[in-house]
Amino acid sequence: MKKTWIEKLGLGKEKNIIILSPLEGVSCPISEVSDPTFSEKILGEGIAIQPTKGEVVSPVDGTVAIMFETKHAVSIISEQGTEILIHVGLDTINLRGEFFKAFVKANDKVKAGDLLLQFDMDKILNAGYDVITPIVICNTNKYLDITTYTGKSVKKLDQIMVLKNKDRL
Amino acid sequence: MKEIRYIVKDKLGIHARPAGLLVKQTSKFNSKIMIKKDTKEIDAKSILGVMSLGVRCGEEILVTFEGTDEAVASETIRDFFINYL
Repeated sequence: MKKTWIEKLGLGKEKNIIILSPLEGVSCPISEVSDPTFSEKILGEGIAIQPTKGEVVSPVDGTVAIMFETKHAVSIISEQGTEILIHVGLDTINLRGEFFKAFVKANDKVKAGDLLLQFDMDKILNAGYDVITPIVICNTNKYLDITTYTGKSVKKLDQIMVLKNKDRL
Repeated sequence: MKEIRYIVKDKLGIHARPAGLLVKQTSKFNSKIMIKKDTKEIDAKSILGVMSLGVRCGEEILVTFEGTDEAVASETIRDFFINYL
């Protein structure tokens, strides 16, 4: 894309930010998740993935903001300042880390595709938990509009959301 | 300036759900609201900020309020802690 003089000076920013899928599975609207914290968008706008494989990779280039102690959730801040929370399963904090393995920690720099977490889907399901994974933009109010691509089979790093930046100038 | 000290009673500490509900409350006020645990201090209107404190059951937090609505803000947040954390 041709850069404007504003962008060349580093003052402008991309109009749209693309968020890639951190998991393989099927994408669905976050409003259908059976936990109001996510379905009512209390933490922000987002999308949910019903995983088909127990691996979470970074959806963006950025820094790990939080690796939850119980390893069921991780937050990344992208280089463009997007705050993303990936929360594997619902109420899975109660598993206290069992069936989860973390590969990064807070302040680690990551690239899109880097492995963040692994989880044993079968064991989590057998323990009675839902594995649906909401992916939430925690600073939703930074963006004018968020478009999600739901109802599709996704592979890791497939496009799942587009965030429209508020115009600055 | 108003201050609240609170020891978290919820067994799960301040995880995603209460963090989101807390920020929903703090964001209603125009006062500057900060939460401190040990030496770490974060903006109470930031979801990531609140979650990054990793507050566990039994840990104490210090919440400060500075602004025109600091009185009502501190009462609202105190009630929130009592009811949810």
